[in-house]
Order: sequence, then structure tokens, then C-alpha cells
Amino acid sequence: MGAVTDQREVFENVRRGMIPAHIYNDAELFALEKERLFARAWTFVAHESEIPRDGDYVVRRVLDDSFIITRDSAGEIRALFNMCLHRGMQLCRAELGNASNFRCPYHGWSYRNDGRLIGLPFHREAYGGDDGLARSGQALLPAPSFAGYNGLLFVSLDAHAEPLEDFLGDFRFYLDFYTKQSTGGLEVRGPQRWRIRANWKIGAENFAGDMYHTPHTHASIVDIGLFREPTAQKRKDGATYWAGRGGGTTYKLPPGGFDERMSYVGYPDEMIDRIKAVWTPRQRQVVGEDGFMISAATCFPNLSFVHNWPKLPGSNAVLPFISIRLWQPISENETEVCSWFAVDSAAPPQYKRDSYKAYLMCFGSTGMFEQDDVENWVSLTTTAGGAMARRLLLNSRMGLLGNDRPVVEALTAESFHGPGRAQVGYNEYNQRALLGLWADYLEAAGA
Amino acid sequence: MRKALPFNDARHLEAHQFLVDEAYLLDAQQYDAWLDTLTDDVRYVMPVRVTTARGAGFDTSPGMAHFDEDKYSLSQRVARFATEHAWTEDPPSRLRHFVTNVRTFAGDDPEDRAHLLVQSAELLFRSRGDVNESAQVSCGREDVLRWCDDRWKLARRSIIADESVLRMQNLAVFL
Repeated sequence: MGAVTDQREVFENVRRGMIPAHIYNDAELFALEKERLFARAWTFVAHESEIPRDGDYVVRRVLDDSFIITRDSAGEIRALFNMCLHRGMQLCRAELGNASNFRCPYHGWSYRNDGRLIGLPFHREAYGGDDGLARSGQALLPAPSFAGYNGLLFVSLDAHAEPLEDFLGDFRFYLDFYTKQSTGGLEVRGPQRWRIRANWKIGAENFAGDMYHTPHTHASIVDIGLFREPTAQKRKDGATYWAGRGGGTTYKLPPGGFDERMSYVGYPDEMIDRIKAVWTPRQRQVVGEDGFMISAATCFPNLSFVHNWPKLPGSNAVLPFISIRLWQPISENETEVCSWFAVDSAAPPQYKRDSYKAYLMCFGSTGMFEQDDVENWVSLTTTAGGAMARRLLLNSRMGLLGNDRPVVEALTAESFHGPGRAQVGYNEYNQRALLGLWADYLEAAGA
Repeated sequence: MRKALPFNDARHLEAHQFLVDEAYLLDAQQYDAWLDTLTDDVRYVMPVRVTTARGAGFDTSPGMAHFDEDKYSLSQRVARFATEHAWTEDPPSRLRHFVTNVRTFAGDDPEDRAHLLVQSAELLFRSRGDVNESAQVSCGREDVLRWCDDRWKLARRSIIADESVLRMQNLAVFL
């Protein structure tokens, strides 16, 4: 490929829902993703609850760039580029811990956990003191843009990035379902980290809107009685929604009010009370009046969520779990999956234990849903790397008629109270929306 | 430091044989037979390893594991393989569990002849299909074997992965 005109054709095809198969394993497009997408968009790095105490830190990457996400000794959360100002050594080589200072292993330059340079060996003898190298004002490079939403921390490598809240847009409405179930918000554990030989976009698309795969890919989960929902009939009654920079899937709930429906998926009464206190009337209406419960979702470009409610051991009762996951690109055909377990911080201890076990059974490195997904994605990626994949346009037009009219009309504001566009049934609207944004970023040349 | 039983101690030989027999069952994916080698109260855990400073005092992710299993959850995982829809192992992986560095310790209580502590090192080699590279997991294991029903059974296993980021597409197989 390479020629600009060829790429324009790729993006045109993507926008009409005919996906050139090679985009899932293409080195040139990956280089373009690095330059134009991941150097600009807001990407998730950590959740505040991973660094609860002053001095706590985790080290996270935005593709090739390492950042120390630290809560400094004054309690302020920062994202510091993990590179010593002197010779460029990676300053912090642990992935988590608690530290008041970071000292470079190469020549011993030391920094406070807020990034300020505080010491360098032989400052007077080697530099003539502050005359030669003034310590004050020297600090590790902060992330160009750094912001949070409900404790989710994001970095953008673009110093002129639009504010995070504007970037997320109306997807915030749906993010709250996963990340705000009490005033205290989430606590997360993990992540489990593992590498898969698959392109990062596949998982992002799958979580964004692929209700169609659930009954088939995950049939074994229903076969063994772990999950009562993903039968074909149940799944297609759900709605997909897309709003702002994200979208997701839902399940249709049986008749009832808000409390009954929250209880149906396994929330105990005390959690329902806390949830009611923090969700807006419109958010409660999506569940209580419209009868939809959030399931999987993706926030562009590579952050996904899942909320499911498998059965408890030896019982027909179900219990929800929440997982947050990052599809961290390694190359055009390899992704590091980072998968966190998340639970409301105010949830009862037994609920947290059961929810954690439910997560491990279903998602993550050992999760039984996840196993079958990844098998497919690896296979898809491998096949997309060949010459024939350049001749194949994958049909991603589900839900559209030949004249681009929808097969099923969008839900009205009265039948779906959330923002954005929502519709019932199998469709690939969200996958098209996600790849449409992808095409927008890749086509926009640098400022 | 605790002293391992001599290699010619009958208890060590029995523990070693248990692990080698088990490796065969796991290679052959004879999971029903494998479940039968576990006690009903088995605990099977594999913490997430993390990179921390030498003085940090911990090297696993607080509260997070890859496996945190009991007999019920392991049975569910095995039951899934018996369905026609467990795509990740259909076609099945070619597996080889290499077990070495086996050391056996008597329990703390010298009167307790019903428990053995066994350490081992394991390398799992896994190959799928004909295109993708094979994958490996290297780990240490700390097991508790219990004598019951006239044979040794696995009562507890802690799997200590040697990687913080696993280079295997999933852990649909056991270690």
C-alpha cells in the first residue's frame, strides 16, 4: 500500500461498512495509528483506586511511552514521563509500589514523587552548582494532557487535546453505569496482563457492539449452566447504543421497575439504594422504564468494559461483575490485554468476593468467555496478514439495507432515555462508528 | 532453611510420581481423571506476578490472580471442554508439561503423615495449529498433597508464574 490514494480508498470502504481485511494486520497502517491516533486520542492508563495512598504509583505505557502515574506526597495525582532528564534512562523500573523519591540507577539523579529534580551527585563539583545546572524548575516531563473521569485516568500525548469530558462526550452517561455505583466510586484489582497475537481493533470492535457473536462463540457457557442470558433469543432483544466516543451493548430485562430489574441481575438492596442516589433520573430510566441493562462497551480507541451476571455456584441466583480492559497495541498483529476486576468500593465484602470469582470464571486470562474470543481473534489476525486479505472486503454492514436505510429503526427518545443512537437487535452500527472514528483520526494530518 | 526429604525417601518418591502421573493426565487432557486427583476442598491459585523494587516486600498483584479456584470452578472449566462449543481447545492444543526440580518436605507436625509439601518447577509447552508460534509458561509450584482414599491427592496448589505478562493467549489449560 503506501500511496495516499490507496489509503483514501481504505477509509472510504471502512466508512461504508466494507472493511478491507488487511487493516487487522498491516504494518503501514499501524505506523499511521501510532502517529495520528495514539499520539492524539485520550487513552486509559489507570484507575485512581490503584494508587490510594500518598506515594503510591503504577507505571503504565501509552504504546511505546512509559509514564509513572503517581499520587505525590501532597495527594495530587500526576502522570510523569518515565525518563531521566540526564541520560534518558527509564527512571522507575518497577510497575507498582510506594515511593517518596525516584532515583535513576544510571548516575543517581533523584526526583520527588511530584517529578521535581531534587538531587544529583557532585552537583557542585561536576556542574558548578546551580550556576551550571539549576535544580529548581527541573522536573520530569509531565504527560502532555492528563485528566480523569470517575477515577478513570487518561493520558493524551497531544498537549492541545480537547478536554477529556468533551472527548468522551455523551458516552460519559454510560460510563457512569460501570464506574459510579456509589459516591465512593470503584475499586479495581489487577490488571491481569497477557499478550495475544491479535490486532487491537478486533477486541475493541467486539466489545463495542458484537451481540451477534455471543450465542455462537459463547455457547459453551450456556451449555454448562454458568450463564442464563446469552441464548440467541435473549441476546437479540437487547439494544446497542452509540454516543460520543463510545458505545456498547445491553440485555433486555424482564418486566419490572428499577429496583426489581437491578435485583434481577443480582444487585443486593443496599447497593441498589446507593446506585439510585448517584445515577441521574435518565440513567435510572434506561433500566427502570426502558428495561435495558448494560453489558459490554468500548470507549474509543482501546478501552473496553464488561458487565455480566453469571450464576453463583450451586444456585440459580446471579451476581454481577465488572471488568475494565485495555487493548494495548504492541504491533499490527500483537496486543497486550490488561484486564482489571472492578467493583463498587462500598459493596459488601461477600459481594466483592463473589463478584471477583464470577469475573475470574468469565473474563480475563483464564475466563471462559474470553478464551473462545481470543482464539477467533488470533486466527482472524493471522489470516489478515496475507496477500489475499488485500482483495477481501469484510461485510460489516449488518443492520443496513442496500440503500443505507436501517433494517430496524433507531429507538425513540421515549423508548430509550440514554443519549446517542440506540436500536434493538443484531447490527454492526457500533463497529462502524468505532472504525469511522479510526478513519477520521488516520486521515487527519498533523497540526 | 527447611530440609527436603532425601531423594530416596519413599514419601519423596511417591510425591514425585504423583506429579509425573498428573503431568501425563494434563498433557493428554484427561481432565475428568485429573479432577479425581484433587481433594474436594482443593484450592488452586495462580497469583498475578508483578515487577516491584527489591525492598517492596511483595511481588504479586494485591488481590488479583489468574486462577483462584475451588473444586466447583475447576469442574465447571472441565465441563466446558466436554461441550461442543469450547472453540479455544477445538482443535486441541498439543501440550507438554515438563516437571522438574521436585523437592518434598514433611509437614510441620512430625506426627502428621497425611500431608506432604512438594515444590516443583514446570514448563508448559503449548502448540496450536500450524501457523502460530508455540507458547510457553514457566512457573514454580508449591503443592500440598494429602493422603486420603488410600492415595495421595492434591489439596492445595500455588502456581508462581515467572512472567508478569503471560505470553500465552489464554490459560484454558492447567498448570
